[in-house]
Amino acid sequence: MKEEFLDCLYEPCPIPLLKALKKLNKMKAGDLLIMKTDHNCSITNVIEWVDKQGHKMDYIEVGKGEWEIYIEKVVSDG
Amino acid sequence: MDKLYHKVLKAPWPYWVAAIVLSLLNISLLILTGSPWRVTSGFLYWGMWILEKLGYNDFTGSYFALHGGLAGGETFLVNSVSILNAAVLLGALLSVLISSEFKWRRIKNPKQVGFAIFGGLLMGYGARLAFGCNIGAFFSAIPSFSLHGWVFALSMGAGGVIGSRIMMRYMV
Repeated sequence: MKEEFLDCLYEPCPIPLLKALKKLNKMKAGDLLIMKTDHNCSITNVIEWVDKQGHKMDYIEVGKGEWEIYIEKVVSDG
Repeated sequence: MDKLYHKVLKAPWPYWVAAIVLSLLNISLLILTGSPWRVTSGFLYWGMWILEKLGYNDFTGSYFALHGGLAGGETFLVNSVSILNAAVLLGALLSVLISSEFKWRRIKNPKQVGFAIFGGLLMGYGARLAFGCNIGAFFSAIPSFSLHGWVFALSMGAGGVIGSRIMMRYMV
């Protein structure tokens, strides 16, 4: 299991979502993606998208208006 | 209480709730001011206000003849569109303060600045050619049964596709 990190601080929607999409495509099933964002719409659109893809996901608000999203890739591309 | 706070003030509202609230607000605005919600005309008036302060006062071109739009007693700075724009900013500020998500964001990299300036210029120029942005020429135009709203919607969709390609290539 590999751990990947994405720093999306100061980046507006939908860049965090697109970055996650690109990164997840390169990851294997079981790998963990940790992303940091301070855009509250990422909490909505990243999570909606991740849910639809069937990955496991959780997030916490680490500071005022700052979140960490944890995504475990479940489906493999192959 | 905590649950109510989280549901109403902290978590984002579902799209359908926001849609109903926005449409009710737009209807009230139309009843109260006689004009549906517009945004970018307010920025145009601010630009005209700056030009006016710099000594330019020939606002007689065909654009202004067609779209001057200020009611009696309104100025380029104090008019219903400007005040509504200021109120939107104030409301947004209140909303992030109440949900304690207020945060100063730094600039991430010079590329972000370049894209912001380039994108802003394109949006401003396009909004004036189209007589409005996605609010005036879309959100308010379609319920007004204006054909230009649908033309705007299709063009916006095409622009969105091209824009996301550019973004995927250069920003992500």
